[in-house]
Amino acid sequence: MKAKERILCVLKYFFLTVCVCIAIFPIVWVILSSFKTNAEILANGVSLPANFSLTGYRDALTISPILKYFGNSVVITACSTFCNVLFLAMAGYVFARCSFRGKNILYFILSLAMVIPMTALLHPVYSVIQKLGLYDTKTGLILVYTALNLPMSLLILRGSFLSIPKSLEEAAYMDGAGFVRTFFQIMIPCAKGGLTSAAVLAFLNSWNEFTFALVLTSGQSARTLPLSLSYFTAQFSFNYTALFAAVTIAVVPSIVVFAVFQEQVVSSLTSGSVKG
Amino acid sequence: MLKVNKMWIPVFLLPGVVLFLVIYAVPLGMVFGTSLFDYRLNAQEMTFVGFQNYVRLVKDPDFFKALSNTVIWILIQCIGHVALGTVMALILYKKPKGWKFVRTAYMVPNIISNAAIAMIFLNIFNPQFGVINSFLKAIGLESLTRNWLMDGRTAFASVTMIWVLFAGYTTTLVLAQALSIDESVLEAAKVDGATSFQMDIYVVLPLLKKIIGTTMVMAATYMLQMFDLIYITTNGGPGKTTTNLPLLLYGVYKGENNYGYANTIGVFIVIIGVVVMTVINKVLRVNEEDY
Repeated sequence: MKAKERILCVLKYFFLTVCVCIAIFPIVWVILSSFKTNAEILANGVSLPANFSLTGYRDALTISPILKYFGNSVVITACSTFCNVLFLAMAGYVFARCSFRGKNILYFILSLAMVIPMTALLHPVYSVIQKLGLYDTKTGLILVYTALNLPMSLLILRGSFLSIPKSLEEAAYMDGAGFVRTFFQIMIPCAKGGLTSAAVLAFLNSWNEFTFALVLTSGQSARTLPLSLSYFTAQFSFNYTALFAAVTIAVVPSIVVFAVFQEQVVSSLTSGSVKG
Repeated sequence: MLKVNKMWIPVFLLPGVVLFLVIYAVPLGMVFGTSLFDYRLNAQEMTFVGFQNYVRLVKDPDFFKALSNTVIWILIQCIGHVALGTVMALILYKKPKGWKFVRTAYMVPNIISNAAIAMIFLNIFNPQFGVINSFLKAIGLESLTRNWLMDGRTAFASVTMIWVLFAGYTTTLVLAQALSIDESVLEAAKVDGATSFQMDIYVVLPLLKKIIGTTMVMAATYMLQMFDLIYITTNGGPGKTTTNLPLLLYGVYKGENNYGYANTIGVFIVIIGVVVMTVINKVLRVNEEDY
């Protein structure tokens, strides 16, 4: 019995180690490779860099306007995350606190967005964006990304407003604060946890999004970082160091945001899906 | 409910509702509507053709290849991927040394961009300097080296490996639920003499049924919509071996410029989504309340 438990324990740690290695190996490999020279990469794919060379990063910046794409990604992600959280906090608050006719039906319809497979809508979304005159613009992508995170943010933010005691608002109304003022000055600060969670998830989704960036842009003016990666194979013509440097530049912000807000992401994933 | 100035309710709802209409509702209506039309890039106007696109769909061998790939991937993801994540969560909920680190590290591939993951794996599978072939050469199995993503025999399996092992989301969700199980339930089982393995199978796992169902729904919808990882690595090739429904749709839309037919495939994806969700919910009886 004892021996069996010990074997199980060893197996357990072996399993955990293997899973963790598989999960982080690709990232570690690409980051290490970005410091190797091209000759080193071609000679041996799995060796460590002989000396940390930054030529890959220099090449990546000179061959393609990667800083411009990085800037595009920052603008698009920041705007869509902000709009998403603001708009859905407003809607979530109304759903959590006010009563009006058709409330449950409207909430049900909006949460249907969760189950619509968006890749089925590639062409119609393109048509809509084009009719609005937003094809190949940052505004078009901001609009779509703001909407893509709609169902998750609505779920999280409605939930976090529901968990705030009503006495706070009642006190604010007693003191003569209006609806809008109560929302922005009392409720928003109280719902900080939910707002951060929704914002982190919206940030990650927008920063990483590829498919709609591919369909809704054509030139460089609105090209985002993930989309630009797929063009690099041709553009960098076998300059693998530069390619790996570009990939590293694209993944570092996600990893940093996740590392900083990790507990938030975990709790928001949980509150979003474990519900009830 | 508080008595508030009702005037603000529609104002607060407006942005969210407009977003929903513009990006979800109108496109969804257009997908269904235009699937009944002959609608191409060069056509001066759309002509109503009834169910002609659907007739083409059921006669299209590419469609059946894409459909079967999609279904196989959904099954692999719902079973293998979710099982892996669940086993991981069942180990971690007992809080062994370093469980928080493991949880974080395991999430990393899930939070970085799929485009980056795809570019990384394109190079891991690279025939000249890729990790797989370098490793095989190092251990003297040179005969097994190949162009993994472009070889018809290995392309499907290789592409699957890009996502199936990264079950961080599943682990995180199942783990959160497992950690919220009441201590007293576990204590009671321990008093009754259950071994830790028996406890996992007979006590903990049944309590996790609902969240496992949720992760299965998430895994299924993720695979139903999978596009970027395949598009960047194999682009559906060689031939149609790694084409799924979204890739087929994109090919018809961009390659053929046949929007009516592309949207017919879109209708089919939406329908599969509804079917998959209903089946999983029926089998595991999740989501019985809420909304």
